[in-house]
Formats: sequence, structure tokens, C-alpha cells
Amino acid sequence: MSGSDDGGSEVRTREPVELSIPVHSDLIVLARLTAATVASRAGFDVEEVDDLRLAVDELCVLVSDAGSSGCLRLTFIATDDAVEVRCSLDGAETVDGRGSEEHGERELSLRILDALVDEHGEEFDGGQRRGWLRKRSVRHGRS
Amino acid sequence: MTPSVRDPREVRRSFREFADSGDEQLRNQLVEDHLGLAHQLARRFTNRGEPYDDLVQVAAMALVKSVDRFDPDRGVEFSTFATRTIIGELKRHFRDKGWAIRAPRRIQELYLAVRPAIEALTQELGRPPTVVEIAASVGTTEESVIEALEAGQRYRTASIDAPDRQEGSIALRLGEVDAGYAGMDDRMLLALSMADLPEREQTIIKLRFVDGLTQSEIAAQVGLSQMHVSRLLAASLDQLREAFIRDP
Repeated sequence: MSGSDDGGSEVRTREPVELSIPVHSDLIVLARLTAATVASRAGFDVEEVDDLRLAVDELCVLVSDAGSSGCLRLTFIATDDAVEVRCSLDGAETVDGRGSEEHGERELSLRILDALVDEHGEEFDGGQRRGWLRKRSVRHGRS
Repeated sequence: MTPSVRDPREVRRSFREFADSGDEQLRNQLVEDHLGLAHQLARRFTNRGEPYDDLVQVAAMALVKSVDRFDPDRGVEFSTFATRTIIGELKRHFRDKGWAIRAPRRIQELYLAVRPAIEALTQELGRPPTVVEIAASVGTTEESVIEALEAGQRYRTASIDAPDRQEGSIALRLGEVDAGYAGMDDRMLLALSMADLPEREQTIIKLRFVDGLTQSEIAAQVGLSQMHVSRLLAASLDQLREAFIRDP
């Protein structure tokens, strides 16, 4: 992980923070903790930090998809008033086809992201699935 | 299970009609139509030491509140509005009651200090505090607060694991029931159980979960102390919970 480490809330980490983790539920906590730390340094309040944490969890699930293997590569970028998270899946053996239940879960993940963040999206590039989200802080300008 | 199979335009029409008429039957229908969403979101918060039925209760109460508060002219889909409200209530539930499973004692103790600090600072500042403000209040580091909050708000992660190909993912196996039947059962059971509560307790439940008042606001309205309201709420929820356990 790169970025500021002085612990002060005034310091906004403009350099991207990168994280690479194997697709495993026990390790997604690292993505949530990183998101929470970047958001906290960006001056987000505790509710916004919580929302971002849940949203990053959903983003990881969406990008990894049930049954995928490989490695999740996450990039966290703090701007003046927002935190952006990009997520891609490297070296995955994707699962052929999805049942209606997986579609339902996927639809729910998208709905949760709609509710928690300002913008989000997905794209496919060269067989690789990528997702991103952006959450703004209402505290912008107060901290 | 799909949260709502109705056309969003039709849902919006129904909400406009409800806003104009306040028709109780239409209100119940709107709640019932979206109970699947409450079940699904509750399931996202399982595996954290709280019974699934309790989470469904919290989510269902939040859904009722969403139906009552939704403004169809604000340009947001009801499902998005309701999802935000339900997640907010589930988060609050875990902050108030939930417990971190397998968290080290140090983190458990810190969480016990962080939780009231958030409430106190929110009151004092008139907005949710930042992590740095919480850390300063309880005399610890930003990183420790983030760790404690993560432990206290531990979110679903089980479903990301590779599923058993025969059975589907863990998340999909949990509590999967037909939304329509489950919703109707829940609503009927909740209505029956609520009717068993004394009138004062029914009023307090409505003020807390439908009108969204704080315990202090309820205390002022019904002329009791906040502690008394807290005890009555806990006892009423226990009674409702027992009804759901007796007749799931």
C-alpha cells in the first residue's frame, strides 16, 4: 500500500493506494479497512465511511462473481470531495453461465451500490471484468 | 428471489395514489410487494451473530418506514430509497446491539467505548463525527477506531467464496423462501403480535420504527424517562421476537 501515513485527517491522499488480494471472503476485510482508512483521511464522517465499506464489499463481490478464482486488484483514490475505488479481477477462471439466483444476487448488489454511493459502473475489457464506484462526502469544505 | 417484480412506473403510480389517499390497504400492499427486498438485505447481514429473524424484523420495520416516507416526485426509485433506509437501520441495529464474533478482547472493549462516543459526538456536533474525532474522544488512534468499527459492523463476506456447485453459494442457501408467502406470513404475524402488546407499547413501537423518533423524543412525547422507554422497547421487541420464533 502506498500513500500518506502521518495519520492526520487534514492530509488527503492524492496518490492512488493499491491493493491486491486473492479472492477469498476472509481477505475482503483488507479492502474494507483500506477503504475506511482512505475515506477517513479524506475527511468522511463515520456514516459515510460505513457506507463506503459496505459498498466496497459489494463491488468486490460483483467483480469477483461467485465461484471466481484469481486476484482482486483494487485502487483507492481520494479527491477533494470524494473517494473513488476501482476493482478488477486478474488471473480468474470464470464460471460459465449464471443461474437465476446469481442474477438475483447481482441485481441486489447493484441496488445496494445505487443506495450507498453516488456513481458506480462495470465494464468488460479483453475478457476482464472491472468495476468502479465513487462516493462523495457531504463534509467537503468543513474539514 | 427478486426484490420486486413490479414495473417501476407502476410502483410510482401506486405511491402517488397512496400519497393522495393514505389508503391503508394500498400501504399494506406496497409493504408486502417489497418484503422480498427486506429479506434479501437482512440476509446480507447474517453470519455476524445476530439471528436472521431479528434482522428481518429490523429490515421489515425499516421497509414500513420507507413506504410511509417515500416521495414519488423526488426522482429516486422506491427500491433505492428503501434499500438506503433498510441498510441504515440494519447498520444502526448492529451498532446498538450487534457483536463482533471472534474479535479480540482489546477490540471488543474499544468498540464498547466507540459506540457511545459516536452517539454523544453526533448529538454534540449535530452531524456524524469523523473517525479522527471519535479517536480523540476515546483517546486512541484512527486506525484502532477503524478496526473496532470493522469488527462491530462486520459485513457479509461468505457469499464471495466459491460456491458448492451442487448447492449454490452459501448466501443463496441461507433462508431462501418464496418472497410472496414469506411476506404475507411476516405481515400477518407481525400484525397479530403487535395487537397483543399494550396500547402504550404499540405507540412506542410505532413512534420508534415508523416515525423514526429517537428514544429521547419518544420519552418526551409519552411522558416517560428515556430509560423507561428503552426498557419498554426492549421488552416489546423481545415479545415480538418470541412470537416469530414460536411461529416462524
